[in-house]
Parts: sequence; C-alpha cells; structure tokens
Amino acid sequence: MSNSIIQQITNVTRREWKRILSHPIYLLTSVIAMLFCYLFFLTLMSEGLPEQLPIGIVDGDNSSLSRMLEQNIKASPQVEVVGKYATFTEARKDMQKGRIYAIIDIASGFQADLLASRQPAIAYYVNDVYLVAGSLSYKDLTYISELMSAFMQVESLQARGVVGGENLLPIVQPIAIDTHQIANPQANYNVYLSNVLLPGVLQLLVIMFTIYSIGVEIKQNTTREWLSTGNESVLASLTGKLLPHTLLFTVLGLMGVFLLYKVMNFPMNGSIAWMSLAMFLFVLAHQSIGIFIIGIFGRMRDAISLGVFYGLLSFTFAGFTFPIEAMPRGAQIFSWFFPIRYYFKIYVNEALNGADIRYSLIYFAAMAAFLILPFLVYTRLTKTIEHHDSEETRNSILNEQLQ
Amino acid sequence: MTVKKQETVYSMNNSNKSNFFLRLLRELRRIIYIMLDEYRIILKDSGLAVVFLGATFVYPILYSSIYRNETVRDMPIAVVDASQTARSRELSRRLDATPDLKVIYRFNNLEETKDAFYRNKIHGVVYIPNDFDQKINRNEQATVSIYCDMSSFLYYRTMMLGSNFSILETGRDINIERLDAAGITGRTAEVSLSPFRYEKNILFNEPMGFASFLMPVVLVLVIHQTLFFGITMLTGSLRKERLGVIDPQMRQRGKFFPTIFGKTLCYFTLYMVICAYVLLAIPRFFQLPHIGNPMDIIRFFTPFLLAVIFFSMLVSVFIRNRETALVIFPFFSLILLFLSGFSWPQSNISWFWKTFGMLFPSTFGIQGYLKINSMGAELSQVKFEYVALWIQTAVYFLATITIYRIQMRTTDK
Repeated sequence: MSNSIIQQITNVTRREWKRILSHPIYLLTSVIAMLFCYLFFLTLMSEGLPEQLPIGIVDGDNSSLSRMLEQNIKASPQVEVVGKYATFTEARKDMQKGRIYAIIDIASGFQADLLASRQPAIAYYVNDVYLVAGSLSYKDLTYISELMSAFMQVESLQARGVVGGENLLPIVQPIAIDTHQIANPQANYNVYLSNVLLPGVLQLLVIMFTIYSIGVEIKQNTTREWLSTGNESVLASLTGKLLPHTLLFTVLGLMGVFLLYKVMNFPMNGSIAWMSLAMFLFVLAHQSIGIFIIGIFGRMRDAISLGVFYGLLSFTFAGFTFPIEAMPRGAQIFSWFFPIRYYFKIYVNEALNGADIRYSLIYFAAMAAFLILPFLVYTRLTKTIEHHDSEETRNSILNEQLQ
Repeated sequence: MTVKKQETVYSMNNSNKSNFFLRLLRELRRIIYIMLDEYRIILKDSGLAVVFLGATFVYPILYSSIYRNETVRDMPIAVVDASQTARSRELSRRLDATPDLKVIYRFNNLEETKDAFYRNKIHGVVYIPNDFDQKINRNEQATVSIYCDMSSFLYYRTMMLGSNFSILETGRDINIERLDAAGITGRTAEVSLSPFRYEKNILFNEPMGFASFLMPVVLVLVIHQTLFFGITMLTGSLRKERLGVIDPQMRQRGKFFPTIFGKTLCYFTLYMVICAYVLLAIPRFFQLPHIGNPMDIIRFFTPFLLAVIFFSMLVSVFIRNRETALVIFPFFSLILLFLSGFSWPQSNISWFWKTFGMLFPSTFGIQGYLKINSMGAELSQVKFEYVALWIQTAVYFLATITIYRIQMRTTDK
C-alpha cells in the first residue's frame, strides 16, 4: 500500500518535472526573480548605514565660532555639507528639490550673542519625509551640537574660575549614556530590511507558482490525465506535483540563508540549522496557502489575484517595519494569518538575539499549523479536479462566437 | 486659360483641405471608437475591473488604515534599578512619563530581563548601576546603560528618543545642583549650562510618522502598478485568441496610430479620475501630508501617466499571457519601491541602480509626488523629474510604435 503511494507520487513528480521543463519560462522567471532580488537588495544597501548624507548650512554669522561648528560637522562621517546658502529660503528650496536632508541655520550675531551670554539659538531643520535619512541626520546633528555645547560650557566654566581640567566633564555631563544596540551595533539598515524582505519575495513566488501549477491544469483541462498519473489519488497527485516546487523553493530559500549569514555576515547568534528549518517550514506553509486559495476559487485568475493581494500584505503583517502592536486592534488580528510573522519572530530570536530555542518553538508550531489548510479545501479541490468540465474553455468559445 | 488654371488649383486646394479635414475627422472617430471599445473591454472583464477600479479603490484605504497610528507610543521597556535611590527612581519615573516609553517591569539585575525580552514583552532595557547615586554625590560622571531591541527601526528610534530625553533631563537637574554648589546660580547658571540653544525642527512630517513617510510612495506605486498590470493583462488576454499583434482583435487593421491613441486616451482619462481620488482625495481624508498645489500635481502626473501607459504597452509586447504578467508584477513592486529612494536614501544609491531606476516612470513619479505633495515644492522645483517623464513618454512611445510596426509586418506576411 505505502509502496504504491510512493510509486504514485513518483509518477506524478516525474510528470511535473516534464511539464516544468517543457515550459521552462516559469521555472526561469522564478529563479531569476529570486536571484535578482538577492542581488538587488544586498548590493543596494551594502553600505549598511547610509553615510555622508547631504545637508546644507546657512551661516549668517560667518564668525570663527560658526566656522568651527561647520568644521565639526564636516568631520562627521555621517553627514556631508554639500551646500552653503546665504538665506534660509534658498536652503529650503534645495531641500524641497530633495538635494539636502537637513539644514543648519546660524543667525547673524551668533558669536556676539554667545559671548554676551544672550544664549543665541542654532536652528536645525530636518526633512522627515525621507524618514531614514531624516532620522539619521537628526541624530548626528544632535550629537554634534551636544559636543559643541559641552565644549563651550567647559570654556565658560573655566572663564568663571571653576576648577579646571577633567573635573569639568562631570559638571557638564553628569550622566553618560552607554548605548547597546543589541546584535546590530552599527544599526545596519540592510540587516533590518533584507532579513525579512528577501523571504518576503520568496513567499510571493511560492504562492504564485503553487496556484499557477494547479490552476493551469484546471484551465487547460488536463486534470483527468494528472489524476490518472497519480492513480486517481488526489493526495498522491497533489504531493507529487508540488514536491519539485518544494525542492526548488527550499533550495532558493536556503541560498538566501547562506547569503545573509555566511556571505554578508549578518548577525547570527543562534543556529543556522534552526533558521534553515524555519525556511523549509516557511516554504511549506506558503505552498499550503497556495493550495488553499486555488482550492477555494478553482479559477486560476481569481486565485492569482487573491494570491498577489495576500502576498503583498505579508510585508505589512510581518511587522518588521511598522510594529504590529502600533496597528489598530482589528488589523493586529490579521497578522496571525501570515506565516512571515512567525518567520520574523524566529529570525529575531535565533539570528539576532540568540535566544534559547524554547522561545521559538511556538512560532515553529504556528508555521506548521498552516499545513492544515490544504485539508480544509480537500473535498472542494477534489471536486474541481475530478469533475472539471472546463468552464473557462466553454466561456472562451462562447466569447469567440459572440465576436 | 490662366484663370481656369488658377481655378483648378484653387479647387484642388479646396478638395485637399476638405480631404484633410475629412480624414482628420475619420481618424478622430476611429480614436474615439477605440477608446470606447477599450472601456467596454475593461468593464466587461471582471479581472480587469478588479485591477483598475477595485485595487485602486481598496489599496489606499486599506494601507492608510493599517498605518494610521503613525508611530509607536508607550513602547514597553524594563528598568533595572540596581541603585534603588530616590534619584534612580526619579529617572525611572521620567522614562515612564515620556510619550514614547512605558516601564512595565522593574528588575533587580540584567539577567532577569532576558526572559521578558526574548518573549518580546519589552523592546528595551534601561540599566541604572548601583554606583549611580554615589558617583553623582561624589561629583563624578555616572553611567546609565540602555539596551535597544534592534529587530525594527522604529523600536530602536523610539528607545533612543525616549531614553535620551529622560536621561538628559535628569542630567540637567544634577547640573544645576552642581553649579549651585560651585556658587553659580540663576541666570548665570542657565547660561553656563547652555551657552547656546538649539532648536530642532522636523519639516514636512512633523509627527515623524510612518504613514506620512510610506503612504505617499504607496499611492504613486498603486497607480503605476495597476496601470502596468492592467495593460499587460489586457494585451495578454487578448493575445490568447490571435497571437502577436498590437490590436489582436483587428479592430482597425493596419491603422495603428488611431489604435494607440484610442487606447491611450482610454487609460489616460480613466486614470485622471483615479489619480484625483488616490493622489488628492486620500491624503486629505487620512490626514497624510498634502501641502502641494493640486494643479501642480495634475500637471506633473500628465507625463507620468503617459510614460506609464507607453512603458506598459511596450513591455506587454513581450508578455505572452496574462499569468506571466501576474507573476512578474508583485515582486517588481518591491524593487520599484526601493529604487525610488524613499527609504534607503537616493544619495546613497550606486550609479548602477540609479541608472537602472531611471528606466521606470515610478522612480520619477514617486520623487516628484513626494516633493510637490509632501514638501510643497512647485512644478519648477521638480523640473528634473518632470522633464525626465516627458523624455520617457517620447522614448517609450517611439519604441512602442516601432515594435508594433515590426510585429505587424511579420504577421501580415
């Protein structure tokens, strides 16, 4: 019995390989798409943390002090002064053109006011439409002005005859902040994004191709032949058909794991084996979702439309850019229905934080739970496959007659 | 004789003229016919209607609703207070009082925080060492450690904003005490503490919000991608019947100018309405940035729509069927999103990817929309993007008719 099931599955798998190779465009598209995304995202952000962000300066004072500030800013690797402007309006116009992400405005009389203890102001303007560039230049400018301020406080204290030297530092800055950016000390932006974006692309492809490979049989009216290869067993026919895809996408996924943690040397504080298992389950879960969707709709193009919709929402509900708990209550519940959410959690626990595996087991179980989906549509899908009278073929014939 | 000759010339001119007008009229009628026919096809095909009308309607509302909270508030953190003094408790209270953070656990040592952290119950830890108060009393510099959850950029930013603010505030109080002890008080103390002030202004996205950052980009991409997808899908499904021609239904055999113009007019008019909804109404409805001049947006999106239409027509020539379009389209949305330079800054994109990005109307469309709509730039300030889109329109138009011509010649044979 078990022997014959294996035989049936092998037969269907052999048939599927032949089908794939006779129309290699789909295989090629998926492989090329994935490889292209690996290349694109990993090279696009290879710098890690964006440096030398262009900013502008309006130096209305043009004093030794304002020039010193400018020098300090120039020395910082994070930002680069690309424009000096006579007025703020000019600088703002360049910011609106997207040339600079921040403006430092030093009003005239800065040095004179400072020396006269009138507490002059330096104004920073940061463009947060570009949230990343804006936040980073904001952070850097704050840091530079804190330094400047500390330097001047020391000077002014010394001028007032307060005991000199190193003793002044605790007065100027009583509490030092020691920041630990857990597992990603450089705040590498590539690490944030690529760890989830790339599996995200993979799930899109898995869903699409699962729906396509089943849908095309229904569309081209070849389900009878497909089923007979599997000796009339829907289970064997489905398994045999999807096995080559499982293999292909798991290989592509593991290639990603290898690229991220071995080639790019992204943080990996846990075990690559667990991440690989997560990747394998991730592929299986999305194949199950693909079967579920085509099972419900039966018609390929409706199924694919829903697949696209679902696949794109995955990026949102992974919660890696905008945290789930900041979403409205109703939306939070939806995040449970996306395996990428659990993959993200496993990645954070394993790769980033190096937590004990017991913290992640629940997420592995959650991903595995998606494997139930095909059984929910099993009878419906069986009906579609067995009694398919090719509605689409009839429709298209009808259309042609109408024209 | 001469008079007669003149007459003939005149009448010839006249007939030429009327011929010209007649022809023009005929061409116009053809164009309108094709346009209406195209509308008919779109409305008849449920799949296309879903893309052109459904997706453009639903996506903006859906995403705006999901991201409407803009940012993380009261992010749960833990405080490890090894100092256990009035001063350290005051710092802990201050952390909790910020809109960014909420102290939900107080632990005695760092080891205890791990469980809560691994369970994702907290996204940051502030550690106040046991020598904190002593050092301050001894006029030394004390150290406070903060630990940030780096799994998400927003967690990191929220932690930095909240904890830096509270710690600097606490430091300032100590500062004043110390100056007081050194005999410096009042206004003098104030000036010594901050010889100059710095004002931080966040422009164009005051709440530093995520929706204000992402949504304008998504809106342009929705237009770009539905239009691209719809056109390629349409050609793909028409192609099923007769392979290889621009106008597979042979509505106007051999006359491709009316066909192209008619189709373009259909998509253009349809998308002008959609643009008004997506780019003008949605930002106002969901309180996303919208300080731009609506007329400038309409003028800017004229070449954008044309460029996308011709780009899509050109690409659709190479797409064999509807399903292929479906497969390429979703993952490419992601690539286009990042090529636009809204997230990873444009200034730090390599020349190679920058050049690659210039192939797609979305790159210029997104940048232009951000600049006009979110930053209030005038059309003259986005001249680069505007001109680039017209160039794309011209290039993709010429490429499309060339390819169609070649295809027609080969199918006519």
